[in-house]
Amino acid sequence: MESSILESIGVEIIGVMSPVSICMFLVVLLVYALSPSNPSSSSSIRTAANLVYLESPTDSTSEKLEGALLNALVFVILIALVTFLLVLLYYYNFTNFLKNYMRFSAFFVLATMGGSIFLSIIQHFSIPIDSVTCFLLLFNFTLVGVLSMFAAGMPILLRQAYMVCLGIIVAAWFTKLPEWTTWVLLVALALYDLVAVLAPGGPLKLLVELASTRDEELPALVYEARPTVPRNANASSLGLLVAGVSDSGSVELQAVSRGNVSPGENENRASSDDSVVEVDSFAKEGGQSNGDEGQRLLPVDRALGRHSSSSDASEYSTVNVPSDRARQFGSVASEIVADEEEMSPLVQMSGSGNERDELRRDAAEMFSRGIKLGLGDFIFYSVLVGRAAMYDLMTVYACYLAIISGLGCTLILLSVCHRALPALPISIALGVIFYFLTRLLMEPFVVGAATNLLMF
Amino acid sequence: MTIAAGIGYALLALGPSLSLFISVISKKPFLVLTVLSSTLLWLVSLIMLSGLWRPFLPLKSSAWWPYSLLIFTSVLFQEALRILFWKVYKKLEDTLDAFADRVSKPRLYMTDKMQIALAGGLGHGVAHAVFFCLSLLTPAFGPGTFFVDRCSKIPFFLLSAIIALAFVTIHTFSMVIAFNGYAEGNKVDQIFVPLVHLVAGMVVCVMQPNLRCDA
Repeated sequence: MESSILESIGVEIIGVMSPVSICMFLVVLLVYALSPSNPSSSSSIRTAANLVYLESPTDSTSEKLEGALLNALVFVILIALVTFLLVLLYYYNFTNFLKNYMRFSAFFVLATMGGSIFLSIIQHFSIPIDSVTCFLLLFNFTLVGVLSMFAAGMPILLRQAYMVCLGIIVAAWFTKLPEWTTWVLLVALALYDLVAVLAPGGPLKLLVELASTRDEELPALVYEARPTVPRNANASSLGLLVAGVSDSGSVELQAVSRGNVSPGENENRASSDDSVVEVDSFAKEGGQSNGDEGQRLLPVDRALGRHSSSSDASEYSTVNVPSDRARQFGSVASEIVADEEEMSPLVQMSGSGNERDELRRDAAEMFSRGIKLGLGDFIFYSVLVGRAAMYDLMTVYACYLAIISGLGCTLILLSVCHRALPALPISIALGVIFYFLTRLLMEPFVVGAATNLLMF
Repeated sequence: MTIAAGIGYALLALGPSLSLFISVISKKPFLVLTVLSSTLLWLVSLIMLSGLWRPFLPLKSSAWWPYSLLIFTSVLFQEALRILFWKVYKKLEDTLDAFADRVSKPRLYMTDKMQIALAGGLGHGVAHAVFFCLSLLTPAFGPGTFFVDRCSKIPFFLLSAIIALAFVTIHTFSMVIAFNGYAEGNKVDQIFVPLVHLVAGMVVCVMQPNLRCDA
């Protein structure tokens, strides 16, 4: 019996949704595990996100709202400035500087912020471990992380795992912000993302266009949802799926499209795929009140993955090759609590399999399929869900579903309009709406029914 | 009472659905997407329902009829949702079949259709369990427990977990039966599903005054 189509539809979407779900789940666990037993003792950290106004529970509503708006405004302006700075640096070809800066920033985040989270876990659960062992373990963890992200030849699974770890660490830090500031900041960032990626003068759009005209990969930190196991065996079925998908306009679950490129570029693409090094620029800005670091770094990471393959002749008569290059990516600005800024594009790698040379196609498909999602998206989705976790489990579930459906909508849009798309706006909008609807409407109803054992 | 009990209650409500998920659904990405979207639909319907009932809450009467009205309207709403789901599924089935034709693969098998229905039902069931049972379980992870009013021997969490398990089963499999009934035009199946749902909801509600365990 032939395998039905149900086996293979929707693989890429799941490939993006599972790391996002894992990141959110672990952030929720962290929030629950590390929640302070008495809320009054939570230290308020001074970051770029609350430069202007430090929220305290005794302020009136209007004060809090104003303060939160000011905070968000300052933060978004900072992010915009940093992004423009990055565009300038990239324009003047300071690529090496950006690369090294990103390496240093990744090391810094993993070591200090990750280390601080480890320390609080150890404290909370009273794990008996001595400081030398702890330091050694942390050091190893950090080094392997930096290597896996920026060196060639590391297994993709390790890379994906470290991306998720970075997202978790930064999101866990962000959840320490006060409540009103967090919500207003999320909304402001979603709006900024929308403008930065789609508006004609937006910094992220400029960056993406620069990278595309130079035919380079952008310096950035992105999660690539590549298949972690090379699917040699079903290369042909993969090609079929790709072919069918790119041809059909109705089944929009696949986000892989095909681009038309001269055969010479195939080798380019294959070789650039082999080198897993992504030119990432990751500048981070951090200022913490506990005085560990005095440095202020600006993290900006952006990734543009571009893989296009050529298919002049189709081996399958049912497939038509679109003649324009299809490249989709979106960018999102995200910040780390310690004033880090990351741009995270939602990138679609166009990988196709319809080439005359089957070998080339196999190699191409092994490396060039998958959607790319920027790290900032991970972070801000997890921040939203983490903040929902501080209220109730019901809101967590509702916000999780809202974000996942927003991500699904964005992916579908991605496959329809083949350009860079921001991944934050739809998900954040849905998440915020569902949070407030659940908190105000659904909770009295469901809790009242459930405690009286009225179930339906 | 402690983390072990909390995890126990959670698994009691969601254990079978977890094993269903791991063995059947996680193997096909499309089914995972179906579970997610049906959960979302159930959540949206629940939000709309609570929007409707919000002005009347909290119900303070001790008579039984406001509660049964609540249950009745809720079940009605959800059965309407099931019909809507069916219509969406029909369109999806046509799209999938067209896609299958284009890539010259076989059309959807019977087992595929049933699996999609199963995934849809599982989505509803998991949403029910999470919102009615798991969200209240947070105190159960702590050191104490909470007993039912009328029967002070059973912890409340245990009772709600068992009822949630029953409803998960009802939701999961009634979707399969209902889709089968709609596809074949089988009136018995079509009536059976809302009836079972209604009876289950009403029984728990109406039997409340008679709940005793000291016999």
